[in-house]
Amino acid sequence: MIKLVNVSKEYIIDSEYTFYALKKASLEIKEKEFVSIMGPSGSGKSTLMHIVGLLDKPTTGKVYVDNKEISRISDDDLSKLRNEFVGFVFQQFNLINKLTVLENVMLPSIYCRKELDFDPNDRAESILNDFGLSEKRNSYPNKLSGGQQQRVAITRALMMKPKLILADEPTGNLDSKTGHEIMMLLEKLNKEEKITVVLVTHEKDIAVYAKRIINIKDGEII
Amino acid sequence: MKNLIFIFRSAIDDFSRNKLRTFLTSLGILIGVFAVVVLIALGLGLKKYISDQFEAMGKNSLFLVPGRVLSGGSFTGGVSSIAGRFDDRDLQTLKKINNVIGVAPLAFKSTKIKGLLKEDFGDIMFSSETFSDIMGLEVDRGRFFDKSDVSKKAKVVVVGSKIAEDYYGSDEGAIGKKITIDDVKFTIIGVTKSKGGGGMGGFDYDSYLFAPYTTGFIFNPDKKFFRLSVKVENENYVSQVKEDIKKEFLKRHKDEEFSIVEPTELMSAITSIFSVLNLILVAIAAISLLVGGIGIMNIMYVTVSDRIKEIGIRRAIGARKSDILSQFLAEAVLLSSIGGILGLGFAYLSVLAVHNLFPAYIDLTSVVLALGISSAIGISFGVFPARKAANLEPVETIRYE
Repeated sequence: MIKLVNVSKEYIIDSEYTFYALKKASLEIKEKEFVSIMGPSGSGKSTLMHIVGLLDKPTTGKVYVDNKEISRISDDDLSKLRNEFVGFVFQQFNLINKLTVLENVMLPSIYCRKELDFDPNDRAESILNDFGLSEKRNSYPNKLSGGQQQRVAITRALMMKPKLILADEPTGNLDSKTGHEIMMLLEKLNKEEKITVVLVTHEKDIAVYAKRIINIKDGEII
Repeated sequence: MKNLIFIFRSAIDDFSRNKLRTFLTSLGILIGVFAVVVLIALGLGLKKYISDQFEAMGKNSLFLVPGRVLSGGSFTGGVSSIAGRFDDRDLQTLKKINNVIGVAPLAFKSTKIKGLLKEDFGDIMFSSETFSDIMGLEVDRGRFFDKSDVSKKAKVVVVGSKIAEDYYGSDEGAIGKKITIDDVKFTIIGVTKSKGGGGMGGFDYDSYLFAPYTTGFIFNPDKKFFRLSVKVENENYVSQVKEDIKKEFLKRHKDEEFSIVEPTELMSAITSIFSVLNLILVAIAAISLLVGGIGIMNIMYVTVSDRIKEIGIRRAIGARKSDILSQFLAEAVLLSSIGGILGLGFAYLSVLAVHNLFPAYIDLTSVVLALGISSAIGISFGVFPARKAANLEPVETIRYE
């Protein structure tokens, strides 16, 4: 579903020194997989995730989404893919605090240009209900606990029925009990909803939820 | 569409959370729109005031004044007396011209006036019975002097309402009473209806006395007139009569010795001067709109920096550059429109407040202009910060702490 071939990301610091966040990384993620990208901080795993999540473009190398090379597609088409194809879950939750829970969850549908085969409001309410967040739908995110905020973020990620969920340290800001609850939720989405999940983490006991672990160190996949 | 509604709704939500900042930001536009709209309203009022003054004279009159008054449609100076004044023969010439139905000569006298309550200097206008008609003067009590008063050189006088009030206490008190003008006793036969005002190039008729010009020859042995007014049968004949008068007068006078003025001509000359002045004032006021626009741009740049993370989140979940652009642009337009609407509101209240003193008014063009300009300012000054927001790299914004 997503394939990276010899992907490098360089940051030119000055004329003599170039920093390589990624060095000729190649990997393939297949549909319905649950993959962990594991490595210490500064290893390039976030850069890798931003490239897989189409938020960033590599300096060299090729990225394929459903066998289509994306380096030449327009910014609008990338936005469309992020909107319809990927769902993001972040360590910092990244909810917009001035919007209510329901508005946050429905936000991706606002940016969708195509005709939806579902009613955004109904879908948002139904997922929130599944996650036990129904009565919080008109609250503001900063009034919720970390675990609740992360579940709202997952609801938002699911809104557009994505094929891929990208979770960047989703448990990093949570206590270990809540962290495991969130992992179980992602595991369930992978198993039952057949959604591909790519997890970025530095914690071994979180990474093991995945069926496959990709190790990364100093910008290189080991 | 759903996008647009959402954008505007969240912008309004944002403003209601930052009421003070929103108000202060739109204050520049508010003041600018207020100043522009009020000045335009005053300009319109002035135009209306001038045209009302001339309207009273009627479109079927002509004025003859000594010297050159208008040349090439523009006002070149005050009444010149290089050629002296008109005399009785000029008056008789005018009476013989076709389609002239009335002629009113005008002579002034400033002298001592003695009434019941007061003795002071005052001004008398000596003219014919046609004068009240040409000048749009109405008599409130009694009557204006007539043709027979003129031919009999009757010592009758019509007084302005202010004169009646000052010298006799009231209109009723003045009628039929004697008034002494430069030691000659006159009988008051009428009091004019108050016209108010004065100033602005017109006479304050309320403070004048009016008497037959024939009687006035007592004080004016040369029988000279300062001005001759002509009433034409109807306005279609005005230009023909003007030509005829010119032809007749050139037999006795040189071209530069007299001018024939149509009230409408004079009005458009005066109006054009005031229009230019008004335009300059409006242009100066418009500078504050520019300053207001810069204020909005400044705040929008701050807003963009404050919300980099939010921009990142929106980009990550699929917002396009154009979505971000329109979001910030909408906020800028809304900010300046709030200023525009408030400015218009305050301008309306101010115009309402002065309405009794001055016929200023806000026309539809001003409303459209105020709202159009304020949203145009929002767009033109908001587009730079909005473009900055839209062009931020998604990955930079999502990483931003």
